[in-house]
Amino acid sequence: MKSSFAGLVVRMLIALMIWTPYQFAQAGMIGTDQVAQQSAHSDRSTVMNFVSRADVSGQLQALGLSPATAKDRVAAMSDEEVRMLSGQIQSLPAGASDEWVWVLVILIIAGIVWWAWKR
Amino acid sequence: MFPQTATVRGGLPEGMPEQVELRQVPFFPQAEYQCGPAALATALSAAGAHVTPEELVPEVYLPERKGSLQVEMLAAPRRHGMVSYLLEPRFGDVLREISAGNPVVMLYNMGVWSFWDAWHYAVAVGYDYDPGNMILRSGEIERQEISFPVHELMWKGSSYWAMVVMPPDRIPATAEEGRWLSAVAALERTGDARNARTAYQTFLKRWPDNTNAEIGLANTLYALGDLPGAEGVLRAAALRAPDNPIVLNNLAQTLSDQNRDAEALPFIERASRLAGPHAQAVAETKQSIVSKLAAQRGK
Repeated sequence: MKSSFAGLVVRMLIALMIWTPYQFAQAGMIGTDQVAQQSAHSDRSTVMNFVSRADVSGQLQALGLSPATAKDRVAAMSDEEVRMLSGQIQSLPAGASDEWVWVLVILIIAGIVWWAWKR
Repeated sequence: MFPQTATVRGGLPEGMPEQVELRQVPFFPQAEYQCGPAALATALSAAGAHVTPEELVPEVYLPERKGSLQVEMLAAPRRHGMVSYLLEPRFGDVLREISAGNPVVMLYNMGVWSFWDAWHYAVAVGYDYDPGNMILRSGEIERQEISFPVHELMWKGSSYWAMVVMPPDRIPATAEEGRWLSAVAALERTGDARNARTAYQTFLKRWPDNTNAEIGLANTLYALGDLPGAEGVLRAAALRAPDNPIVLNNLAQTLSDQNRDAEALPFIERASRLAGPHAQAVAETKQSIVSKLAAQRGK
């Protein structure tokens, strides 16, 4: 119990260290990304954003990116996009297919469609 | 069997040509597994950013997954000053974007058989309504024609995912006000204030009454150091939305940064009488203005 709490604190501190410069650039001005915010828990959601960004960055590194590359890529995402990725990068689609697979599948589908219409 | 194709069976919406092909859209043959970078380079180049698939590999390709995620396809164009927009999952919208001159990045999946997923990005650059064909830049094929029903089956596997990449001074043909504003704000968030400013200005020409876009425009002007510009935008916004605490707070801060704290005070006082999620930020701004005024008086 105690160690999991300590772990959370450490994770948050690391996240804050990594992401703080992006978030507090304009003291005094309320950022456009906070316009839609309805709840009074803006501080908490800001901290959660740090943590999810660090999480996604860590997952990208696990999939073969360098820390700097992963950080740049997460920085291009909106908060909503980060939330979508957080925790499920492994299961999301990744457009990839090899050319021969692609051609083969088109032929097969074209055949099925042709067959369905001729019948 | 083909619900999407059926939506255009009765004819195209008025004003859309029966035949469109964006021949000027460049073609980048894909390297192994790298249809994501190739498709994105095609769309980015068409929008006016000159990048090659090789340059995009470190921005969207995931080595261990041997592919590119949808979110990263949307995120990467912002690094080149562009705004990316996820289309509504409607075939008619894809055709409308193409007829407006915007190539559409499509995600296909042949997961018709659930044990075999084959994801693939390609760029739709044209259609021919009468025979019913889509024209794609796809993989190693510069010009691929696929019939509407076959195209629909492949597209269905991705739950009809499609996106466009726009330069900041243009708006997609099918853009919806709120979602397009979020797309522009996402560009601003990456720190590209210059292009975000252009995108907000373009947005406000189309939807001049959108206070949130005015806040965004003022924030980009502020970030670029154009305080009088930000002040002008916020003053106009405060006339139309006198009870918006963000407008009032940011206007007060902008005035205070120009050492006009006496002018700023009534705005921040008005803001602090309004409750809301930004009450704490408003209180901090007020505190800073009040203490600056006190220091000036003490001199």
